[in-house]
Amino acid sequence: MYTPYLFQFAQVHEEFRIPELLSIAELHSFTVQIPEDIDVTRPFVVLGLESDDHARLLAKRCILIKSICEFYARGKNYDELHATTRTMPSKWARFVEDASFKMNVTAYNHTIPQTRARDVVEDFSYMGMLGRIDLKNPEVTFVCYEEYVDKHGTTRDKHEGDGEFREVFLGRLIEEGTARPLAKTYDVKKRKYFGNTSMDAEISLLMANQTLASPGKVIYDPFVGTGSMAYTTAHFGAFVFGSDIDGRQMRGKEKVPGIIRAAAHYGVDKRIVDLCTFDVTQNPWRCGEMFDAIITDPPYGVRAGAKRLGRKPRPPGSTPRPAVTPPSQPRPDDQPYIPPTKPYELSALATDLILLARYLLKPNGRLVFFLPTVTDEYEEVDVQTMLCEGMEVVANSLQDFGSWGRRLITIRKTTSEKYEPPSFKPTSTSRESPKDSDAPDHVPAHKDFRMKYFKKFNKDEYDT
Amino acid sequence: MVRLITHNLLACHAKGCTTNNFPLQFKDVSIELREAEFNADFLKGLLPRIEWKALVDAARQLGDTSLPLEQPEMVDDEFLKNLHHVLLEMHIEEGAMVCPNCSHVYAISNGIPNMLLSEHEIA
Ligand SMILES: C[S@@+](CC[C@H](N)C(=O)[O-])C[C@H]1O[C@@H](n2cnc3c(N)ncnc32)[C@H](O)[C@@H]1O
Ligand SMILES: [Zn+2]
Repeated sequence: MYTPYLFQFAQVHEEFRIPELLSIAELHSFTVQIPEDIDVTRPFVVLGLESDDHARLLAKRCILIKSICEFYARGKNYDELHATTRTMPSKWARFVEDASFKMNVTAYNHTIPQTRARDVVEDFSYMGMLGRIDLKNPEVTFVCYEEYVDKHGTTRDKHEGDGEFREVFLGRLIEEGTARPLAKTYDVKKRKYFGNTSMDAEISLLMANQTLASPGKVIYDPFVGTGSMAYTTAHFGAFVFGSDIDGRQMRGKEKVPGIIRAAAHYGVDKRIVDLCTFDVTQNPWRCGEMFDAIITDPPYGVRAGAKRLGRKPRPPGSTPRPAVTPPSQPRPDDQPYIPPTKPYELSALATDLILLARYLLKPNGRLVFFLPTVTDEYEEVDVQTMLCEGMEVVANSLQDFGSWGRRLITIRKTTSEKYEPPSFKPTSTSRESPKDSDAPDHVPAHKDFRMKYFKKFNKDEYDT
Repeated sequence: MVRLITHNLLACHAKGCTTNNFPLQFKDVSIELREAEFNADFLKGLLPRIEWKALVDAARQLGDTSLPLEQPEMVDDEFLKNLHHVLLEMHIEEGAMVCPNCSHVYAISNGIPNMLLSEHEIA
């Protein structure tokens, strides 16, 4: 049986809110009832939960949840709100006699003048609470939220438009969100080791939640770079493997590798199992079905271009490059010698990544990764073109940067069949990915993303 | 690092090197013992992927004889403790791993193995 709960979200990453809480619900094996007509852009939503305990689990883990209340009523104005509230005294009856209490009156996108806030509280006196008012440590906190429409940076007086809210909500506080401060803890700027590819802390935490990271799970980042998501997944108790084609990204300049130094500072180094240097398209993994999740920010060529071992095709007629003699001595990867690499086109990389994940994940495991897309050109089917049998999209959330954006894609391995590791051959897209029946010639908008980025997404320049 | 769990999950992947390419042999390695976090779920989750003989051999080569030659059917606490120690607490910091088949040398420095192939070894 679901009862309604009022969720307040942080004012960011709208499309990530519901996928995040559904992931955490799945992690704890419970379900959430989502209304069909939900408007994810609004900061307040009413969702169905089966118990207060479920609300607490969500509020403790979800980065985007500011608070969860037992839902009492909502209204376009206070008359409507009170009319509904008056019909349900049973909701707070058990607190009437002697519970200490307080009521918070706050607004979203607005500041309510204190005098009016006091009046609002007065107007609820019919609730008949007999206990002591306690502003510091009340047994019960009632919350009244007014939701104002975003005025989009227009300058106005602090209290201008007071009372002209879109909707007002009433509930009883169950739990304040306590995971949000983690974004400060893992702030990149304050990290012992980071680079220009490091992923923002809040996003790294959201990604970790999409993986269902928890104690004892094994999680792998094949493009680990400076390790941003290794810290957040390890924070939630997972054991982490990382690899990168460029050892210097993982090491930095000191003897102890940078990722290990940063992880030690966070107290999660015991869960960084190992870091290895290799090209993921030429990887040394001995077997599949090892990981509970793969979490990664693939190189898409804006900062850290995708590369793979091999040589760029040379123009015909040019003098052949002298053959590189194979090094006979063991070669550390922090030395200047870097094997020749060639560029790796993004749509090929994405398709390969999903095939690799199908091989390396345990059944039911998750692949969580970012896919950059050109906003004007993106189509739903772009993501479908990358999929292969046994891999299913669970969530797809856009982080919008204007002319381009990136989508956090969460994919579940739904199959328990055994698959061969992918060949990473340039033709592998058409040969190994069977889902091309609907749109045989569809070219996804993330194809050639790097070129489009540097042409500033001006279609005229690359369509010809 | 390069813990024995990792050593057990990596094989030589040079072009054409598909048989007798595992386990990689240790060469001139220096090891450190470091306490790790015990988690039974983690160990049980990866146990089915472990090549038992390779693990026991590697552990013995590095001086640890706590694991039985045959993988026990019963997973009890005592066994998990020893397994935990072998898989997670023995770290190879320097040295190399050598392919028994093609002799490719994978160097380890500051605990990170370089598994990159050279140009002529790519498939
Ligand atoms: C966008 S960055 C990931 C950054 C990382 N999330 C961090 O926190 O620093 C992509 C990484 O992929 C690596 N890379 C590029 N091509 C690769 C390949 N073929 N195999 C493995 N790593 C590769 C780059 O060296 C770079 O560190
Ligand atoms: Zn070999």
